[in-house]
Amino acid sequence: MKVNKSGFWGIAVLGICAVAAVSTVLMPPAAQARNIKVGIIDCYSGPPAVYGKDALNGFKLALESINKEGILGGKIEFTTRDTKFKVDIALNMAKELVLRENVDVLVGTINSAASLAVSKTIAKEQKVPFIVWIAKDEKITGAQGHRYVFSTSENTAMAGKAGGVGLAKKPYRKYWIAGDDYAYGHAIADAAWRNLKALKPEVEKIGESWWKVGEPDLVPYFTSIMGAKPDAVIFCTGGASMTNALKALKATGMAGKIPSWIHTAIDHAVLKPLGAEGPEGVMGTIQYLFYYPETPENNAFVERFQKAYGNPPGFPAFNAYLTAQFIADGFRKAGAIDREKFIDALEGLKVKSPVGGTAEMRACDHQAVYPMYFGVTKKVPQYDFVIATDILTLTGNEVLPTCDEIQKARGQ
Amino acid sequence: MEADQAVFLSAVGNHFLVGISRAMILFVVSAGLSFILGVLRVPNVAHGSLYMIGAFFAHSVTTVFGGNPLGFWLALLLAPLMVAAVSLVAERALFCHLYEREHLMLLLFTFALMLILGDLVKLVWGADYRSVTAPKILQGSLTLFSSPIPKYNLFLLAVGPVIAVALYLFSNKTRIGKIARAAALDREMVSAIGINVSWVFSFAFVLGCFLAGLGGALVAPTVSVTLGMDHDIIIEAFLIVTIGGLGNMWGAMAGSLIFGITQSFGVLILPQFAIVFPYLAVVIVLLLKPKGLLKSVW
Repeated sequence: MKVNKSGFWGIAVLGICAVAAVSTVLMPPAAQARNIKVGIIDCYSGPPAVYGKDALNGFKLALESINKEGILGGKIEFTTRDTKFKVDIALNMAKELVLRENVDVLVGTINSAASLAVSKTIAKEQKVPFIVWIAKDEKITGAQGHRYVFSTSENTAMAGKAGGVGLAKKPYRKYWIAGDDYAYGHAIADAAWRNLKALKPEVEKIGESWWKVGEPDLVPYFTSIMGAKPDAVIFCTGGASMTNALKALKATGMAGKIPSWIHTAIDHAVLKPLGAEGPEGVMGTIQYLFYYPETPENNAFVERFQKAYGNPPGFPAFNAYLTAQFIADGFRKAGAIDREKFIDALEGLKVKSPVGGTAEMRACDHQAVYPMYFGVTKKVPQYDFVIATDILTLTGNEVLPTCDEIQKARGQ
Repeated sequence: MEADQAVFLSAVGNHFLVGISRAMILFVVSAGLSFILGVLRVPNVAHGSLYMIGAFFAHSVTTVFGGNPLGFWLALLLAPLMVAAVSLVAERALFCHLYEREHLMLLLFTFALMLILGDLVKLVWGADYRSVTAPKILQGSLTLFSSPIPKYNLFLLAVGPVIAVALYLFSNKTRIGKIARAAALDREMVSAIGINVSWVFSFAFVLGCFLAGLGGALVAPTVSVTLGMDHDIIIEAFLIVTIGGLGNMWGAMAGSLIFGITQSFGVLILPQFAIVFPYLAVVIVLLLKPKGLLKSVW
């Protein structure tokens, strides 16, 4: 068969196109630069929305600079799902993000029960890294921790230890414990009391009271506690219940009579709405304060956040900012968008903290290590709401359970 | 021994007053729900959302006045009026077309409305916690029965009966009140004698929602004004209306007192399990009087 010149070139071009098309189809995806996909499950409705929104803003702020630089030739992109603070919805959303959206990393959520469920049934089973950024149950990286779950949030063991260390320095002996009747409240109570008792064996618990989450009327609880005349009270509450508790402390006059410690009572998200009417003298612990420490890094972080979102960052924004840093630096260190390599890279990884210094992802339990602050609420002229003063800084290693304790908790 | 007895008796007195003051908020909200249930036969699940909107409106009004005590007093009037205006729009645009539908349909409709109103609140006010400050005169506490009682709770103790009496006078001494009561018992007969039932229903709905808004404004200084504050109150309000007798205003008062007092005494007697007491009381009442304490209009 005779092929003329134009026919030859036609066949040649077709052949080249066919080879190009086949090679494009068969080329392994890892060889292509692509974006890292992060799936966020968190609560954006109801009272916890204030924390979910703050975390999302912190994450977005961190991505601004991370994506300018780029990672492995691509960027970090994210998609969010509202869990409505419900475990079943969180599970469905996480499954959908993993199976349909094919996310490389899962991130979330404020709900401890939802975090534990997603960790166990999605992250562990589907082998997807899951970074918990607000939920505080110590079981997440403790007894129920595993290869695929990480936490950038402080947990109840850390909070309880920080509270225990702070309270052990005080002269109180008779304590009353009260709080929200759900997992978080009881976990904080157990951890604080365990640590306080270990540091100061002579302390005595004279009573307990528990109310439903968000209980609007705490006055009967508080008058009952005042009647029992404890030296101090350990309150185990958070979120909207925290504001109710602070209001009742002030309304009943308990704030000035009986000292109390509440983890996150020094969080500006709950103190700011109360304005100058916030109670003074309440002890609290937290891992981030926008006004302390006054480092250039923290000041710059606060300024950028305030400019972008109109409010100073809270502790969820701090956790989320760290999460973004861990994701970015983790994939850079891994050198590929590969879940297993990413997990290996995260273990022991140190990233820059927005307050200065570094935060480390501890290899033995996948728990982020950073300092915690113990302070007392007070009115100061610089702000129109009460803030934490007399701040005591506790290093990450001071408040974290040891790796041996973690292994013991996991039955290893 | 005598000293212990005196301490216990003073605690009982204190918890009794605190319980009644909580009951007053519950009464205002559940009286509105009961009124709507009685006259319109609508199980309004969105009633809690209107309570929440009342609290948010109260926050907005007090913010406008920048901490001036006048802002709080005006909020008690304006916030419920604003809620009434919202409910009037909802009634004329949506509810008035649905009164003849089945209860299940109405239940689903009001549930959908609750979700929509919740999202609207988030759009308008955002997700941040908000707080309303009571005027100086109502801040702090007084010592009664050797224990402190917040002045605001005493204020609620005074306001509750005033609202109850006002509602009684309205429904028994005014023409529109009497028509509304008649419509609750026999709407066909009211219609047959030439009264425009549609507007009676509209008025009853708006009045019920006004009470929800008033409850929200009254509770605002004691709690965090936040999304989700509608969920608990609507469950409690439905329980109170059920044990009091559907549609019966005084039943709402009796149910509120039972709920508030058992909660308060639960804290005194067994603080670890105080949550259970009001619900236990509901179960006992329903076992003894399945149709409620007072006569139901259903």
